[in-house]
Amino acid sequence: MAAAGSVKAALQVAEVLETIVSGCVGPEGRQVLCTKPTGEVLLSRDGGRLLEALHLEHPLARMMVACVSSHLRKTGDGAKTFIIFLCHLLRGLHAVTDKEKDSLTSKNIQTHGRYWKNCCQWKFISQALLTFQTQILDYVMDQHLSRHFLSIFSSSTKERTLCRSSVELLLGAYFRGRVGRNNHAFISQLMCDYFFKCMACESGFEEVCELVDDCFVELNVGVTGLPVSDSRIIPGLVLHRDFSVYCPADGDIRIVLVTETIQPLFSTSGTEFILNSEEQFQTSQFWIIERTKVIMQHLQSQNVKLLLSSVKQPDLVIYYARLYSISVVECLSSEEISVIQRIISLYPIVLPQASSQFDISNNALVKFCKPLILRSKRYVHLGLISTCLFIPHCIVLCGPVQGLVKQHEDALHGAFKMLQQLFKDLDLSYMIQVSDQNYALRPLIYKNTTESNHLLEIGSIQRPNQGTVVENKDGLAETQRHVKIYSNMVVPSVELETHIPCATPKVSPTDTYQTDETLRCLSPHKTKIIDDPDLCIECNSTNSTTENSRLEISYENVKITKIAGKGSTFPVRNKSLEMGTAQNYCFSSIPAGCVLPVGGNFEILLNYYLLNYAKKCQQSEIAMVSTIIANAVLGIPKILYKSKNGNRSFPQVYIRALHALQTNQPMVSIHTGLESVSGRYQLLTSVLQCLTKILTIDLVIDIKRQPQEIYDLDSEEEL
Amino acid sequence: MARLEAKKPSLCKSEPLTSERVRATLSVLKGIVTSCYGPSGRLKQLHNGLGGSVCTTSQSSALLANLSVTHPILKILTTSVQNHVSCFSDCGLVTAILCCNLIENVQKTGLTPSSAIKLNKHLLNLCTTYLRSKDCGCLIPVNFDNTQILLCLVRSVLTSKPACMLTRKETDHISTLILRAFLLTIPENTEDHIILGKSIIVPLKGQRVIDSTVLPGILIQMSEVQLMKILPIKKSDSLKVALFHASLSGDLSDAGEGTLVVDYGVCLENAVLDQLLNLGRQLVSDHVDLVMCQKVIHPSLKQFLNMHRVIAIDRVGVALMEPLSKVTGTQPIGSLGSISPSSYGSVKDLRTAKFGFKSFFHLIPNEVTVCSLLLGNRNDTAWDELKLTCQTALHVLQLTIKEPCVLLGGGCTETHLAAYIRHKTFIERGSIPKDGGYTQTELQLITEAFCTALESVAGSLEHDGGEILTDMKYGHFWSVQADSPSVVNWPDLLSRCGCGLHNSQEELNWSFLRSTRHPFAPQTCLPHETLGSANNLTLDCFTAKLSGLQVAVETANLILDLSYVIEDKN
Repeated sequence: MAAAGSVKAALQVAEVLETIVSGCVGPEGRQVLCTKPTGEVLLSRDGGRLLEALHLEHPLARMMVACVSSHLRKTGDGAKTFIIFLCHLLRGLHAVTDKEKDSLTSKNIQTHGRYWKNCCQWKFISQALLTFQTQILDYVMDQHLSRHFLSIFSSSTKERTLCRSSVELLLGAYFRGRVGRNNHAFISQLMCDYFFKCMACESGFEEVCELVDDCFVELNVGVTGLPVSDSRIIPGLVLHRDFSVYCPADGDIRIVLVTETIQPLFSTSGTEFILNSEEQFQTSQFWIIERTKVIMQHLQSQNVKLLLSSVKQPDLVIYYARLYSISVVECLSSEEISVIQRIISLYPIVLPQASSQFDISNNALVKFCKPLILRSKRYVHLGLISTCLFIPHCIVLCGPVQGLVKQHEDALHGAFKMLQQLFKDLDLSYMIQVSDQNYALRPLIYKNTTESNHLLEIGSIQRPNQGTVVENKDGLAETQRHVKIYSNMVVPSVELETHIPCATPKVSPTDTYQTDETLRCLSPHKTKIIDDPDLCIECNSTNSTTENSRLEISYENVKITKIAGKGSTFPVRNKSLEMGTAQNYCFSSIPAGCVLPVGGNFEILLNYYLLNYAKKCQQSEIAMVSTIIANAVLGIPKILYKSKNGNRSFPQVYIRALHALQTNQPMVSIHTGLESVSGRYQLLTSVLQCLTKILTIDLVIDIKRQPQEIYDLDSEEEL
Repeated sequence: MARLEAKKPSLCKSEPLTSERVRATLSVLKGIVTSCYGPSGRLKQLHNGLGGSVCTTSQSSALLANLSVTHPILKILTTSVQNHVSCFSDCGLVTAILCCNLIENVQKTGLTPSSAIKLNKHLLNLCTTYLRSKDCGCLIPVNFDNTQILLCLVRSVLTSKPACMLTRKETDHISTLILRAFLLTIPENTEDHIILGKSIIVPLKGQRVIDSTVLPGILIQMSEVQLMKILPIKKSDSLKVALFHASLSGDLSDAGEGTLVVDYGVCLENAVLDQLLNLGRQLVSDHVDLVMCQKVIHPSLKQFLNMHRVIAIDRVGVALMEPLSKVTGTQPIGSLGSISPSSYGSVKDLRTAKFGFKSFFHLIPNEVTVCSLLLGNRNDTAWDELKLTCQTALHVLQLTIKEPCVLLGGGCTETHLAAYIRHKTFIERGSIPKDGGYTQTELQLITEAFCTALESVAGSLEHDGGEILTDMKYGHFWSVQADSPSVVNWPDLLSRCGCGLHNSQEELNWSFLRSTRHPFAPQTCLPHETLGSANNLTLDCFTAKLSGLQVAVETANLILDLSYVIEDKN
């Protein structure tokens, strides 16, 4: 059976999902209880989890859920908003095409023909969406929205330092959408405290976020049966197991890590141990005992007080450990070991085969090591002394039921993902089309007139340039190849351009050197615009190489200029937009840490600027798509303000915001809280991608065959 | 071959609490837990149609563990109570009753969940701050010089579990035993932090309750034949003990992952036995008097040891290892080679004891932190219930040592707290925060719902159709027997309040708990003179009750906040 894949069908599906999801969106959202086939009960407000728990059957619904999950994997936030936005977009499209359909029917075309014609129309719209996403959205973001952005970093200092109050606002808003309403304030405070406690220095936030995100499971302990308010942060690392041997120790506590049994065995795998006599057996057993004793004694003499082992140690080792008062923790998981290694860079010791005296340089100091009892379960509590920017702390999460603890755990993990995303720059690229007559000449003129100080302006390209400098040493042939590679890329002319000063005959070698100097001066600035790993690898050029290759550079540059001369139509990539070129690629970014106040601020701003853009735009379909998107975006604040009335109702808020924008006054938000701009932006692009996917489908073909058969076929082919 | 099966779609229900079925099941659960509560609570007989033993109980832990709940909302409620019980042992029924009542009452008010939840939390905060404050009228500080209060606490735990089937005399006996067992686990010379010992409960099923007893040290059960074999040992000050956790059975230790090739004629068993006998020789030459092994001792080694007047006890089991090592001060030995002298320990004395049909080895340690509580009861189900009760009581005592205070029991804390909350919100009605998100009326409605829920916990103590009253001075709980004359002089009819702190001759005013009263300020200070004299108070564990209150309100909030239930039908 085949069903027409139409906007109408997709809209019906999306509307059903919207009703479920809108119940738990925003600060007024409520909880959803999910049961698993195992009988486990889970509480959740996480959109992604809900959609997956539904096990939807409808093919379009499944596609939407798949899109949501892939978006979540990327950003970890925004599943509910995804569905709401998609639903509004479909609704908008449906409304627009309904009108057009009337005109189509008047033309009296056959139904079947009309259907295919409809599909062509969808294709058309989806292409318009694609153009919108690749060009207009970034343009609007960069040109208009960016002036409203706030930053999570405190503005007073030049270095990027986090502003604690902003982080609190950001997390507060995040947890309001994730955690039950009577716990969000507490959990958000807990998270904030945790984050700032773990940071060794102000600028270490990226590393902390990354580490916590990677090792989140190891860094928190869930306890059921206690009220949520008993949750707390404890310094140090808590291992989810008990000591095999615990000997209280004070002062200088050294720890070592082993990954094999300390007691030597008769034979290792792949070997044979031949016993000739009973005496031999006894002596070898005696040797094993003595050997174990010696190793343990040696550990004690080196002041080792704690032995961490990834395997189970035999009774003998445990006995000697107790005798020499060394605490033992066995059966550590590989994740736990990797956390320890990351925090204190401790590596496993290698036990020597023969000699009894061996070096235990791979040890570390801990502040304390003691058992921790949480709800009559014992844990190992280690006061690790961190060697990285992360100061180890653990979160103890309490809750009356496991489902609630899990929800808080997920929300905290998601918050770290969100922060990690926030600390990254997000690239924007778009094209500005300016009708300029002599566009072909412009780049060349520009090149010729620029002096080395121009390089300052295009500081963003210094890295690939340095790469060329280094490569130049390798000789002519190679560089030729490189130049070719460059010319295959979309953005090559900047590389060429920068060498112009060197190529002019007037420039002396010292000048070139200076240019290089300028380049290096620029390099500390972080402008991640070109993401080409091949180029970045060679960035480590040093002073000496530059000097050595000075001559070659100038030689090289002549070559390059030639090529540049030939291909004068190369598009010029530059941040400054004043340059008149036909197709001016603009690369910009949403800088790390950009935030906007919550409560639909982003959506209202986007709506305003998109509508403005649509008014000016000449192409009708782009204007239409922009209008549809602009209107659909408003659906999110509409839901957020649904329960509010009076001064806080949505029309009131919207009108006030519009007024502020028109008169160039700052927008006033009634909510306290911030949200990440890049998160919102990514959500928008993900939804648009999903929509284009839906629009390009014309038929859904239902196959009533067991999927199993396909697997069989695959395996046969492999054979 | 992996079978691929399409997953069935889940079932999604909106606003689960409004459905009639959910309400009905909730009220059934409420009926079950309410009828179990208190000293006069009704017992439940749980039996599985497919087999297994029949369980007669009124305790939440046994009840909820055996009850199979299918609806997800009820599951949340019961697991929440079970988790609380596994943390604190006590106050499970209180938590369950309060939670059910709170959900029901809030639903009746018809307010939106968001404001109800906010207000519930606000009221809970009022409760916890009051209970933790110094001038709380239902909190008694515990002085460990006087065991009277601790004894009252234990007795309250015992009397609230009617399925133990104890007479008054038996209750007194068991209470003193439990308290004694607990006191024995406290180490004598305490440093900065106390590490409590352990009380091991030894079953004496079928014996009389009155025969139950507490012995310091550890009892190891063994057959009479084995016991006969043990020779009377020469008396000295103390006996030297070796404790093995490695097997002494002569099996080959772990040979590694490779292969072991043994030549023909080489007998490894003999080699190992030689080793064991060498070990025996060392033990004898070290003057060890008692050898204990977690696992099996080889008969030859056993005989060898017996010949040298060393007592050998094997198959001790892993459960006893930790207390044994603690009591004797030994380090469990894992080596068959040389034994370091520092791993030996000692016991003061070794006796044999016989209780009923069972015979035991009795190790009497030098310093007692481990004791054995021998419990008897008439039948198996009653014994199980008594054992659970004793564990609860011991746990409650441990919790009390951590936070040395107790709450008034017998429903008085609940009624007093309800009176306090009513009064507090009444006097603060004018000063509601503007951006708090709730109105005066909403606050009033929820306060009424919250306080009624608290009072209905107290009300659940009465199962025989009697009337429940509260006095207008202390806000305590009083109950009157059913079918008492309608026009009466209250002081004559009432004797003591629920907790036993006040008697009816104190010139008090009473009012029915169910009737509406004007909010009054319950007297907060405890009368110290009555406290000193009162020796028959009903008391509750502070930590358990406070946490139970919090968990109940949090769980109720959680359930009220549900907008959808998605059931995975796979």
